[in-house]
Amino acid sequence: MLVQAIEAIGFGIATGAVIALGAVGFSVQFGMSNILNITYGSLMTLGAYVGLFLIDRGSNAWVALVVAGIIIGVVSVGFHRWLLAPLVRRGTRAFAIVIVTVSAGVVLQYVIVAFAGPDAKSYGEQSGQTFRFAGFLLTASQVTIIVLTLVLMLALHLLLTRTTMGRAMRATASNRILAQSCGINTDLISDTAWLLSGALCGAAGVALAITTVSFDFTLGPIFLIPMIAAAVLGGIGQPYGAMVGGLVVGIASELAASFANPEYSEVVAFAILILMLLLRPRGLFGSASATRRLTA
Amino acid sequence: MRILRNRLASTLALGTAVVLVACGGSSGATVPTQTGPLNLGVIAPFTGPAAEFGTLLTAPCLAATDLINAAGGIMNHQISCESIDDTGDPADAVPNVTKAIATTSNLDMAIGLESNTAATTVPVVNKAKIPFFTTNGLVAFTKNNYSYYYRMTPGDDANGAAFAVWAVQQGYKKVAVVFQNGIGSEGNLPGLQAAMPKLGGNIVINKTIPADAASYSAEVASVIAANPDVLIWSADPQTTATFMSNYKQLNSGNLPAMVTATDSLTPDFFNAVKSAVGLDYLTSKIWLVGSYFDQTTPAFNTYKNALLADSKTQGIAPVLSTVGPPAGAYDGINIMALAMIMAKTTVGSYYNQYVLQVVLPKSGATVVNNYADGAKALAAGKTIQYVGVLGQPTFDQYHNSAGEFDANKFNSDGSATQVGTISGAQVIKLLA
Repeated sequence: MLVQAIEAIGFGIATGAVIALGAVGFSVQFGMSNILNITYGSLMTLGAYVGLFLIDRGSNAWVALVVAGIIIGVVSVGFHRWLLAPLVRRGTRAFAIVIVTVSAGVVLQYVIVAFAGPDAKSYGEQSGQTFRFAGFLLTASQVTIIVLTLVLMLALHLLLTRTTMGRAMRATASNRILAQSCGINTDLISDTAWLLSGALCGAAGVALAITTVSFDFTLGPIFLIPMIAAAVLGGIGQPYGAMVGGLVVGIASELAASFANPEYSEVVAFAILILMLLLRPRGLFGSASATRRLTA
Repeated sequence: MRILRNRLASTLALGTAVVLVACGGSSGATVPTQTGPLNLGVIAPFTGPAAEFGTLLTAPCLAATDLINAAGGIMNHQISCESIDDTGDPADAVPNVTKAIATTSNLDMAIGLESNTAATTVPVVNKAKIPFFTTNGLVAFTKNNYSYYYRMTPGDDANGAAFAVWAVQQGYKKVAVVFQNGIGSEGNLPGLQAAMPKLGGNIVINKTIPADAASYSAEVASVIAANPDVLIWSADPQTTATFMSNYKQLNSGNLPAMVTATDSLTPDFFNAVKSAVGLDYLTSKIWLVGSYFDQTTPAFNTYKNALLADSKTQGIAPVLSTVGPPAGAYDGINIMALAMIMAKTTVGSYYNQYVLQVVLPKSGATVVNNYADGAKALAAGKTIQYVGVLGQPTFDQYHNSAGEFDANKFNSDGSATQVGTISGAQVIKLLA
């Protein structure tokens, strides 16, 4: 039983790392703009297909992950600048903007289908050797994704706390008007935040494609909900919280799959989320604050 | 008293008039006719994750209609395939199918109606009095009250029992049952559970898994711990690829044999599993069990040649021509077309009563294997008995004809070769 539990926790850390990668990007984006961006899921899918394009032409999967991240980062900036920001400036209601992101997500999905077809794709076998240590049983690719997620989180932490840009980002997220009055170029800060979150989104798409082995155009939207759940669990707008939330969702799902009925693995994770919000609505690391307006 | 007599007389007169009209309507009355080309509804998913099924079910429609039109059509009506997208979702299927029935002219034949959506689409099509040949395997339809419904492929429970028979025949007694949660997959379980103990086998673990998860490591670990000889498996291509990849990683590169349905004989399944665990596993350790039909008969040759002759279907002809449900759909179209000729009308509510007569063995009947020969024989005043690709249909009172079973193995190009047969009678006995 103990061996089974430790193995399940190990699997959960691996799954949680992928969820955390996407959840952190989502949290950065929401923290900056207060927009519930459902297109995020389809952008993850686009990242996976960009990775496929590169790998089919001989690229290494991890190089493809970095390149896909950069490309989706740029696409995210464009998406925000030319679609969402104008809507926000016009005073469009938050609900309407969510509907726009849902619609854009569906359009993007079917653009992907039009180019790549609806059938399942694969990067091939990327898992590598299997390691057993401390009761955990993980493949080389899972270990790589865990390490990568940790490195990216550390880099994000250093950016936000040790750099001028990071301080400016935190100031803009906290109060955009005040930040502007302090001379911060909030448009540039917004673009940077969307670039970062888009990069994490694209990287998450490739990481998902490596983990699931086989994927199609529904990849991103399927995993968007657990990622949002992880972001909310950790405290929406809090990248560190999103990472912890990702781990909680991943580990809870694998423990449920191992000891209970696998069909309910996601249900357990969402049940924990609901319980957490009932007990602590701000999430694990969220701060109590007044309702924030949408910002462009 | 006079008033009562008058009322009685009026009632009698009215009743007599009604009887006369009714009698006049059924004897010597002309049957309704339609003008213009006929539409044959292919009710299947054409969008969404199961979109491949729509393509696979359109192929037998194209093969059948090509041959029917080449033979002059049905009573001079040309016929074409009309795609009706049920999206693979039971709720979304109803408005789409309802709309298609209401807006498509001369829609009096249908095929498809696969497992995931059949529970909601079969009642709709039946209510519209459109005869239809379904490819669903739901146990719920093993006994039903739908008079326009016909099925020439086995129910999922029979499939499950056939899986058990094949697994034990190959020497596997310790079986791990892993099914994706979904009505199309889990329907096999009752038949498996009924058959395994009677065959001396043992289900060592029974797992239902969600579709499209990021990882199945925890589920795989518990299956490995049960030490099965074989997996009896049903899941979509992506779920299969992820699960088997995890299995290979966690089991030191070793994979158990797999018995699955011929529904998995699709390019998507083949390519997804090949990318995940390699070609060798596909061609050496996977058996696909499903409807059996003799691939040397004239009916089969006509069917296969029609698939090869059409540019839209020739690419998948080698795969498709070995799978039961599309062959059943092809036979169903021919049967409905011949029933129309027998009824002298293309209207579903009129020709439906002739559908079973087309296939009923009868003394002196001319056995025909394709539409053209059947139409010619009927024009010459002969009675016919249609024996198609799936052989002689034997419909029960619920319009189900299960037939025999076979096992196939993948070839390296994604087609399949038959490697054995399973008696339908044995399967039915195991379910009793």
